[in-house]
Amino acid sequence: MTAMKAPENTPVWVDESRCKACDMCVAVCPAGVLAMRQEPTSTLGSMVEIVALNDCIGCNECELACPDFAIYVADNKDFKFAKLTEQSKARSKAIIENKYRVLG
Amino acid sequence: MSTREIISTGNDLAAIASVDAGCMFFGGYPITPSSEVMHTISDLLPKVGGAAIQMEDEIAGVAAAIGASMSGVRSLTATSGPGISLKAENLGLAQMAEVPLVVVNVMRGGPSTGLPTRVSQGDVAQAKNPSHGDYKSITLCAGSLAECYTETVRAFNLADRFMQPVFVLLDETLGHMHGKAVLPTVEEVKAGIKLRKTFDGPAEEYHPYGVEQDEGAVLNPMFTGYRYHFTGLHHDKNGFPTEEIETCRKLIERLFHKVEAHQDEIDSYEEYMLDDAEIMIVAYGSVSLAAKESIRHLRAEGIKAGLFRPITLWPSPVEAIKKHTDRIKKVLCVELNIGQYHSEVQRAAGRLDIDGLFKVNGRPLSPYEIVNKVKEL
Amino acid sequence: MAFNYDSYLRVEKMPTLWCWGCGDGVILKAFIRAVDKLGWSKDDVCLVSGIGCSGRFSSYTDFNTVHTTHGRTIAFATGVKLANPTKHVVCVAGDGDALAIGGNHTIHGCRRNIDISLILINNFIYGLTNSQTSPTTPQGMWTVSQKAGNIDPTFDGCKLAIAAGASFVARENVTEPRKLEKVILEGLKHRGFSFIEALSNCHINLGRKNKMNSAMENLDWIDSITVSKAKYDKMSDEERLNLLPTGILHQDNEAAEYCDMYEEIKKVHQKQRKVITQDDFAKKI
Repeated sequence: MTAMKAPENTPVWVDESRCKACDMCVAVCPAGVLAMRQEPTSTLGSMVEIVALNDCIGCNECELACPDFAIYVADNKDFKFAKLTEQSKARSKAIIENKYRVLG
Repeated sequence: MSTREIISTGNDLAAIASVDAGCMFFGGYPITPSSEVMHTISDLLPKVGGAAIQMEDEIAGVAAAIGASMSGVRSLTATSGPGISLKAENLGLAQMAEVPLVVVNVMRGGPSTGLPTRVSQGDVAQAKNPSHGDYKSITLCAGSLAECYTETVRAFNLADRFMQPVFVLLDETLGHMHGKAVLPTVEEVKAGIKLRKTFDGPAEEYHPYGVEQDEGAVLNPMFTGYRYHFTGLHHDKNGFPTEEIETCRKLIERLFHKVEAHQDEIDSYEEYMLDDAEIMIVAYGSVSLAAKESIRHLRAEGIKAGLFRPITLWPSPVEAIKKHTDRIKKVLCVELNIGQYHSEVQRAAGRLDIDGLFKVNGRPLSPYEIVNKVKEL
Repeated sequence: MAFNYDSYLRVEKMPTLWCWGCGDGVILKAFIRAVDKLGWSKDDVCLVSGIGCSGRFSSYTDFNTVHTTHGRTIAFATGVKLANPTKHVVCVAGDGDALAIGGNHTIHGCRRNIDISLILINNFIYGLTNSQTSPTTPQGMWTVSQKAGNIDPTFDGCKLAIAAGASFVARENVTEPRKLEKVILEGLKHRGFSFIEALSNCHINLGRKNKMNSAMENLDWIDSITVSKAKYDKMSDEERLNLLPTGILHQDNEAAEYCDMYEEIKKVHQKQRKVITQDDFAKKI
């Protein structure tokens, strides 16, 4: 695999300069790790935010679904990801029901 | 020049010339009266390790040839007027992306299906601007069997020199004429091959379209470590689409200027008995053979006629035409179309009193028709 | 570490011109991962694209790239491949590009079984030119050229490819990026013409006027019209109505490849073998 260096101790990270705020990564995250924050400088008025970094399970779904090379997930050989919990699942459901936006 | 003699046809000679000139790819589609170019080259190319393919249509024929040329291989397509109509868009791409290509067009009568098996010079105006947009066509026109060979060779070298398609116009008479041609030797042709420029510095310093305003693009072959982009869109120095105002202007102006600035390398014409001529006939292609015959008859009768025969039709040899039309009062354009080059001679001469003898019924012009017309002047 | 897409991209062209949520990017990523798995050198790949949103594939990827005229992708690629039979030639085209204006070239690329991989991105609409009917637009949908509803029957590209002679035919859905990567990988590996249809969304120019306002809604619709080949094969004709099977639909590893056959032509002309006759072919007609 052609690899890039991951930031230290980071399971998932975003290149905001490439994100078009399509919501796709949030929609496919089973663990409620991602949500859209309000971002006036973004074309669509929002930007993806990592809201529960330590709950990332490393499933890679967000990276596979991102059309814009904007979100990356660490290789599971390098990082010990969390297990999918009921709490994470519930947060994921709540974020999707909240139209992908940050809760609260 | 050491020479050799070949008994052949114009179409076959164009195919043989292509292979001698280093062509390694042919893409085409059957069309009368040019099909024999494909028939012959499809035997010759595999022999030398090249490839010839009959594609599913005219558009695909030229596309495959352009694709092969993009990859760095000298390529040919051959067709006739209706085929050029279909190929026009992709010829525009080759102009825009500066892909060298030789297009042998064995002309027949049009518009539309016209007179497929008859002779015509109906594609002269089309050759100047087959595609939409601005570019400067290079079009050569063979006037003898030997020139079906030598002009095809020259076309390959010009295509690589100027990085664009070059037309070789044959007509049905020449294409199917069977006779003796005195040709340069293969060794001499091979020694004269001038391939496209390439860049051999570091890839990050390579800008295929970043050239002087009077130069063609420097397109390295594919698969050699210089990865760049071909597009029909307006593009920047690396070939990538752009709408930047100055870059767009300079690109299109360069497509024009690269030819205009070096017209002396492209110009070619024959002056036959013009020194003392009081009547100048302008003719090209097979018509020039009849014109020469007519001049011999006219001279025998004491009428001082001569021939100006453009070999490079586009860009037209304006200065050479004007030099003669400034001196010679009576000028007659003889063409197998309704004056497609006549208007260019008028333009070059700066005169509207250029006479014409035009024929569009699919039959060749006889020397006697020209003799009679000259006597009427 | 993470997968380094950038090493295959012309990063200065990022972000892409594609709309937010466009499946083209997901397909591009799946393609890049497949190329990486194959370990192909970027210098050995030529990527040819046509006109349309999919046409941008060629300017974004760091291969030898060609952006051709509308519909002519496969014809150009045929020239590149036949002149360079040892190199990898990949075409990317849209449904309008490859099935309408370029339909003839698709048919004959398949028929020749030349070793080119075509990734056909089917988003069921002309996206770049704003919502005109394409050969795959479902009947009854709104398009800007058929505002009263599209009456034109649709076109199954995979069935066409199989009938025309492609030796590898697959379809996958952009909501299944791993499966998509796998069929692209298998298609790229396959020697012969590989026809890979990637079903994608265009929520902007198809969705918004057809009750699919977001990428997710458009993708849900694609999910609803696709089913794996394994399941599809077990269905009755009635159940299959309005469903498209996904996965590898056809693969023939024995079919002769065009460049290989052309090598035999060269041998004939170089007097290394006798002329090719009907006896050389099991299937003659």
